[in-house]
Amino acid sequence: MSASDVNLQYVPTWCPGCGNFGIFNSLKKAFATLQLDLEQTVLVNGIGCSSKIGQYVNCYRIETLHGRSLPVATGVKLANHSLTVIAEGGDGDGMGLGMGHFVHTARRNLDISYFIHNNQVYGLTKGQTSPTSEPGMLTKFTPPPLGNVERPVNIVDMAISLGASFVARSYTGDMNHLADMMAQAISHRGFAVLDILQPCVSFNAINTYAWYQQRVRRIAETHDPENRDQARALAGLWGDEIPVGVFLREERPTFADSLAQLKDGPLASRPLEGADISGLMEELA
Amino acid sequence: MNKDFTCLFAGEAGYGVMSAGSTLAKAAGRNGLWAFVVNEYPSLIKGGLNTCLVRLAASPLQAHEESLDFFAGLSQEGLEQNYSRLKPGAALLVDTAIKVESSRLPSDVRVYLLPLIQKGSGDVAKIMSNSAMLGAFCAISGFPLELVETVLAGEFKPEVFAKNRELLRAAFELAAEQAVVASFPLPVGANPAQKMLINGNDAISMGAIQAGCKFAAGYPMTPGSSVLTYLADHGPQFGLVFKQAEDEIAAMNMLIGAGYAGVRAIGSTSGGGFALMVEALGFAGLAEVPVVMVNAQRGGPSTGQPTRTAQADLAFVINSSQGEFPRIVLAVGDVEECFVETFRAFNLAEKYQIPVIILTDKYLADSSVTHPFFNTNGLTIERGKLADETWLAANRPYKRYEFTDDGVSVRAVPGMAGGRHIATSYTHGEDGFYSSGNREYAATEPEITVKALDKLFAKEPHILAELPAVKLHGPETADLTLVAWGSTKGAALEAMELAKAAGLSVNLLQVLYMSPFPAAAVEAVLGKAKHTLLLEGNKTAQLGALIRMHTGIYIDDNYLKYDSRAFTPSLILEKIKEVLA
Ligand SMILES: Cc1ncc(C[n+]2csc(CCOP(=O)(O)OP(=O)(O)O)c2C)c(N)n1
Ligand code: SF4
Repeated sequence: MSASDVNLQYVPTWCPGCGNFGIFNSLKKAFATLQLDLEQTVLVNGIGCSSKIGQYVNCYRIETLHGRSLPVATGVKLANHSLTVIAEGGDGDGMGLGMGHFVHTARRNLDISYFIHNNQVYGLTKGQTSPTSEPGMLTKFTPPPLGNVERPVNIVDMAISLGASFVARSYTGDMNHLADMMAQAISHRGFAVLDILQPCVSFNAINTYAWYQQRVRRIAETHDPENRDQARALAGLWGDEIPVGVFLREERPTFADSLAQLKDGPLASRPLEGADISGLMEELA
Repeated sequence: MNKDFTCLFAGEAGYGVMSAGSTLAKAAGRNGLWAFVVNEYPSLIKGGLNTCLVRLAASPLQAHEESLDFFAGLSQEGLEQNYSRLKPGAALLVDTAIKVESSRLPSDVRVYLLPLIQKGSGDVAKIMSNSAMLGAFCAISGFPLELVETVLAGEFKPEVFAKNRELLRAAFELAAEQAVVASFPLPVGANPAQKMLINGNDAISMGAIQAGCKFAAGYPMTPGSSVLTYLADHGPQFGLVFKQAEDEIAAMNMLIGAGYAGVRAIGSTSGGGFALMVEALGFAGLAEVPVVMVNAQRGGPSTGQPTRTAQADLAFVINSSQGEFPRIVLAVGDVEECFVETFRAFNLAEKYQIPVIILTDKYLADSSVTHPFFNTNGLTIERGKLADETWLAANRPYKRYEFTDDGVSVRAVPGMAGGRHIATSYTHGEDGFYSSGNREYAATEPEITVKALDKLFAKEPHILAELPAVKLHGPETADLTLVAWGSTKGAALEAMELAKAAGLSVNLLQVLYMSPFPAAAVEAVLGKAKHTLLLEGNKTAQLGALIRMHTGIYIDDNYLKYDSRAFTPSLILEKIKEVLA
């Protein structure tokens, strides 16, 4: 399989120059690198410019509601844990409406990868503040003089503290790095969070390609991703230097590993017929 | 109508009045009698007033009655609230700490004051008070003590049973000294046919297991939770996974994920939780993902009355979520329907690729009834147009949402070679692609929008043709036709029998499937009715409004009960007499 096999015939509708193109290309590349079986891969997305990616990729996809990709992905994974399940969505999608699901999905450590297209603004609804917007950012909903007065959510820091077992960050302006992070996240057995820095050329005048180009730094080889404290310290950095790379990698049993019902194979391949409920009835006799 | 016997056990939460009631009901059920058990409890864990009503008869029961032949009470409050329900000649058994006002008792009530609550030894003694209560009950009523013992022996560990039996016997002896031991007024004897003491939610859960359901998700909300508890507990031996979700929104979306991936999935909640699920309900509708939901109604909007009953979510549930899309709403009326119709719900969900909502209520969910074992013969699993890889290989390119005459297209699930597609919450065309915004679709958007909606609604006539949407009980024609739905069925059926015995001609139209609304079937019955009386557990006559909207028929009289308690046969009989007078 090559990257182009992942393409559908539809032409993406992102604005020219949008960071989502880079994410799309990197995703195709990661799929090709891993030689993923597209019939066995499910992409679950939310709603937003970012989430449109599912419309262009030729695997199984379910395009859910705004903010709800993770619980749907959870249902898919529990129904058929032999599938490769990838959830994608925006920072508004995932850190706004979807925040509760993010918190609890991370605690669960299901074998799902979660790619957050983090453009620090709402794109599809035309430029409102997002939970990751910079303080002072001027948007339709946070006009001058004050702009945004809330602290941004640090996705990487939060994912680490919540218990995600793989946490990484990448930048859409460095497609090779991004494709590599995606491939690592998908290969990881457990909940893998990938924070993807993605310029929105239409509504985010702060976090531009040039802005990122000056700040994005690959994490040094000396960093030990199995060291939580180190990962945390690194996650706290945001400003003149923005670290990208793998912050944390931890091997531990997944939620599905703990379920005896899944030992005989996926729920989806079990026969429906043949439940003998006579024991249940006798219990009530 | 048989002679019946009703006993009310009353006490604070924590004293085990509900297990006293179910022990008696089980003992009676195993020995030829039939029971109907209603638990009433406030929304708190300790204290307050819990009651457990056990109605017994020599033939099957389908509702409770208000008036009491026996009252067994451990709390003053319990007695205060129930003086007026005592029948003349009833027996009253209370703990010695309780003050009885003889002036408030009807004629010939025999009062037994006995030390039922064990003093001084904490929670354990408290819990065992119910054994003392049962022991004294047997002495006074003449119900065979050894039958109660047998049930308890099966429920407790040997040491615990020994302690309870000691207490049971001591209280029996003590009461026997005071009581003129009566012989129990119903024929208690062995009966070989196996029966269960089962409530509606257990029956729904069993129906789901029988249907091959393998995934359940939910967030606790009374009275919907007990389906989840049951499946969490009993599901694993059938390969079912239950996931407690972080909230109802997550639960519904997890069910959709599982349904999309080809697994039969069920959720259960009550109105408030269901309200949180409705955006996702529309998603299931538009993406055509099969999923089964239980909404066990409780009282009130908002948090309302967690532990009380109502039938007031009908209008909401059939209209819930934005936009227009079909869903199947089914209002089960008794334990048998809970089982059989839940089984059918899973078939319908997959055959029509549609969300199915089972509407029940606290009264049905939580009341137990003696019921024969379910007959599982003839329950066949039907998955409808589910693809397999051979079909997918022969039918390329695969169109997930192909427009068909019956609105149902072949469904592929992830992992199937050749079935890759997008399932989406956006209005879409045959290939599942978004109808707007993309250049490929922009010009045809209005056309696709119409076709997409027509596709969804094309299912409705086929669903209606398949459903046992209404049931007519009693004679074909009658002077009065009762119209009811859900758990009101039981009381209405018994009222119909009572009316017949009183020489009145009454039949009952039960509407079982509410959406799509079975207008033709309802019209066929009501068109022939001479006079109609609507029975509903809500204030605004929601079924009445539906009937009017779909058939133009106005129901002549309404009996609406929205006091947080269920209908009883005698209340309905009174109303029947009034209407026919
Ligand atoms: C329940 C609900 N609320 C609001 C919306 C409208 N909505 C669509 S996309 C979006 C925000 C998208 O922002 P983000 O997730 O950051 O993604 P982006 O478009 O920036 O990629 C919103 C609010 C919706 N579809 N559903
Ligand atoms: S609005 Fe922003 S995020 Fe959306 S497509 Fe345009 S550039 Fe991309």
